[in-house]
Amino acid sequence: LPCAQGAHPHHLSLFSPLAVTSEQIEHLHRRFKQLSRDQLTIRKENFDSIPDLEFNPIRGKIVHAFFDKRNLRQESDGLADEINFEDFLTIMSYFRPIEMNMDEEQLDHFRKKKLKFLFHMYDSDHDGKITLQEYRNVVEELLSGNPHLEKESARSIADGAMMEAASICVGQMGPDQVYEGITFEDFLKMWQGIDIETKMHVRFLNMETIAHCY
Amino acid sequence: MFLLLPFDSLVVNLLGISITVLFTLLLVFIIVPAIFGVSFGIRKVYMKTLLKIFQWATLRIERGAKEKNHPLYKPYVNGIIAKEPMSLEEEIKEIRRSGSGKALDTPEFELSDIFYFCRKGIETIMDDEVTKRFSAEELESWNLLSRTNYNFQYISLRLTVLWGLGMLIRYCFLLPLRIALAFTGISLLVTGTTVVGYLPNGRCKEFLSKHVHLMCYRICVRALTAIITYHDRENRPRNGGICVANHTSPIDVIILASDGYYAMVGQIHGGLMGVIQRAMVKACPHVWFERSEVKDRHLVAKRLTEHVQDKSKLPILIFPEGTCINNTSVMMFKKGSFEIGATVYPVAIKYDPQFGDAFWNSSKYGMVTYLLRMMTSWAIVCSVWYLPPMTRQPEEDAVQFANRVKSAIARQGGLVDLLWDGGLKREKVKDTFKEEQQKLYSKMIVGNHEDRSRS
Repeated sequence: LPCAQGAHPHHLSLFSPLAVTSEQIEHLHRRFKQLSRDQLTIRKENFDSIPDLEFNPIRGKIVHAFFDKRNLRQESDGLADEINFEDFLTIMSYFRPIEMNMDEEQLDHFRKKKLKFLFHMYDSDHDGKITLQEYRNVVEELLSGNPHLEKESARSIADGAMMEAASICVGQMGPDQVYEGITFEDFLKMWQGIDIETKMHVRFLNMETIAHCY
Repeated sequence: MFLLLPFDSLVVNLLGISITVLFTLLLVFIIVPAIFGVSFGIRKVYMKTLLKIFQWATLRIERGAKEKNHPLYKPYVNGIIAKEPMSLEEEIKEIRRSGSGKALDTPEFELSDIFYFCRKGIETIMDDEVTKRFSAEELESWNLLSRTNYNFQYISLRLTVLWGLGMLIRYCFLLPLRIALAFTGISLLVTGTTVVGYLPNGRCKEFLSKHVHLMCYRICVRALTAIITYHDRENRPRNGGICVANHTSPIDVIILASDGYYAMVGQIHGGLMGVIQRAMVKACPHVWFERSEVKDRHLVAKRLTEHVQDKSKLPILIFPEGTCINNTSVMMFKKGSFEIGATVYPVAIKYDPQFGDAFWNSSKYGMVTYLLRMMTSWAIVCSVWYLPPMTRQPEEDAVQFANRVKSAIARQGGLVDLLWDGGLKREKVKDTFKEEQQKLYSKMIVGNHEDRSRS
C-alpha cells in the first residue's frame, strides 16, 4: 500500500484528526511519490514537472518556501537541498483549514503561523525584515511578464506601497528618518482585519468511501 | 515394459490432436471470418459474461470491506481539491475589502495580493489538471486484473480462486492464441502487400491491396480481442480527405484501418515496424517520412497537400494530438493538418476501461511491454463514432478550425475538452501561456495606477 513507508502515525499530530484524514495523507503521499519519481526526497527540480505551476508569477518564491528551513522547523535558518515527505506535509499544514472547535488562542496561533509563512516569502535574505528592495522584488515578480510595463512603473508602485506600509507601522516620519523595513510585528499590523485564516487554506473534496454498486 | 510404449505414443497423439483442434478452431472461427469481414458474435457473448463476473467480484469486495468496517480506496478522477470558483479579480478584491476598509476605487498594490498566487501555487502542487490526464484513468470496479486493484486485502477465498483462474486463462490460453494470431496477421500483411506490389498499377491491384490490408487488420483486431462498435458509418472518410481522430494508443490505427482503407502518415522506423511499413507502401501509396524530413514542416505539408489534391488517392489518417492521452480528455490539436485545406472527417474513439486499459504511457512502458499488457487483458472494448465532415470556414484560421474539430470529437466521445498541449507530457510549457496570467494581474494594478496618475 502506498501509505506503508511514508506516513507514520505521528504525522497525524501535525493535523488534528478532524482536519485531515489518513486517507488524505495517503493522497498527498501518492502526490509526493509522483513528484519525486518514487524517490524518498524532492529537490527543486522536481517542481518543474508541474506544468500548471508555470502560470504562477511567484513560482520561484513558492518553490523556495518548501526548502526554506524557517518554514520547516522552528528556530532554524538557511536552505535545505532536499525535503522528505514529512517536510512536505509540514509545508502543507500551513494551508489547512480552520476547524469549528478552535478557541481564540488556537485561532490566533494558527493565524500567526500562516502569516509567518507569507512573511518568509517576502523576506528573502532571512534577516527578519522586509526591506524596500525585497518589497520591490516581490512586486516586480508579480507584475513581470507584462511587456508593456516598464521596470520604472513597477518600482514606483512598490515604492508607493512601501511608503504606505511605513505610515501604518511607524506613523509620520521625519525627513531624516530612515525606515529600515517591515518587521514581523509590523507585518501583523498590516494584516489586521483580513481574515487570512479563513482564506489561506486548501480544502480536500468531501470524499465518499463506499464504492458504487452497478 | 509393454505399458510404456503405448503411453508415450498416447501422449504424443493427444498433443497432436489438441494442436490440430486448436488450429482448426482458430481457422474456422477467427481467420476465415476475418478474411470475409463476417462475425459470429462470439466476442459479444464473451464480453457480456465477463461483465457479469466483474459485477459479482466488485460486490464481494464491497461486502468484505463492510464486514471489516474499513473504507474502500476510491480513486478520484476529478481531483482531490475543491478549487475556488472565483476569478482572480474577484478574489483579490474580496481580500482587500475585508482588510483596510479602503475605498475600492483606489486600487494599488497591496501586501495581501501575494496571497492569491501563493494559494493557487500550492493548489497546483497538491493536485494538477494536466498530469492527471496522463496516468491511466482509474476504475471504480475491479476487473480481475491485479494491476488495477488497490483494495487487495478485502478479497475472499472464492474471489482469489476466481482471480487465479482468470490469470491462468489469460496467460496460458489467451496469450498464446493471440500471439499466434498476431503473427499470422503480420506475416500475411507483409507477404500479401509484397506480392500485390509486383502487379501492374490498375484496378486489380487496388482491389487486391484493399482487401489484403483489410483482412490483415481484421486478424490483428481479433488478436487483441477488440470488440468495436462503429457508429454512423455513413460518415466514413472518402478519397481526398483527411481523417482525424483522438489518440490513446498505437492500437487506434488497427481499429480504424480494419473498417476502412486509409493512407497512413508517419515516420519510418527501424526493426519490425520498418519492415511492415516498407512492405505496405509497395501495394498502396502511404506517406512515410524519413526522420530528418519530419522536422521540416513545409516539406511535410507539401507532401500531404499533394496527396489530398489527387482525388483518386486514399484518405489520410492523422492523429493531431501528437501523443497518447489517457482517453478521458482531448488535448490540443496541432494545427499542421488543418492548414492543408482538405475536408476533415473527425472520428472519436472511446475505450471502455473495464476490460483492459488501452492507454499507452510511453514514459512508463516500452512498446513490447505495452503489447504484452494488451494481450493479457481480457479484451479491448471501444466505440468509434464517425462524425460528419468539416471544412475550414473563410473567417477562421487553422488554430480555430482545429479547436472546432477537437470540440466536436470531445463532445461525441464524452471526453473533456482541454486547451492543454499534449506535448506537455515531455516538454515544458511554452512561455506564451505563462504571460497570460501575469498580464491579467498587472493590467489590474497598472491600468488603475495609470488612471490615478492621470487624474
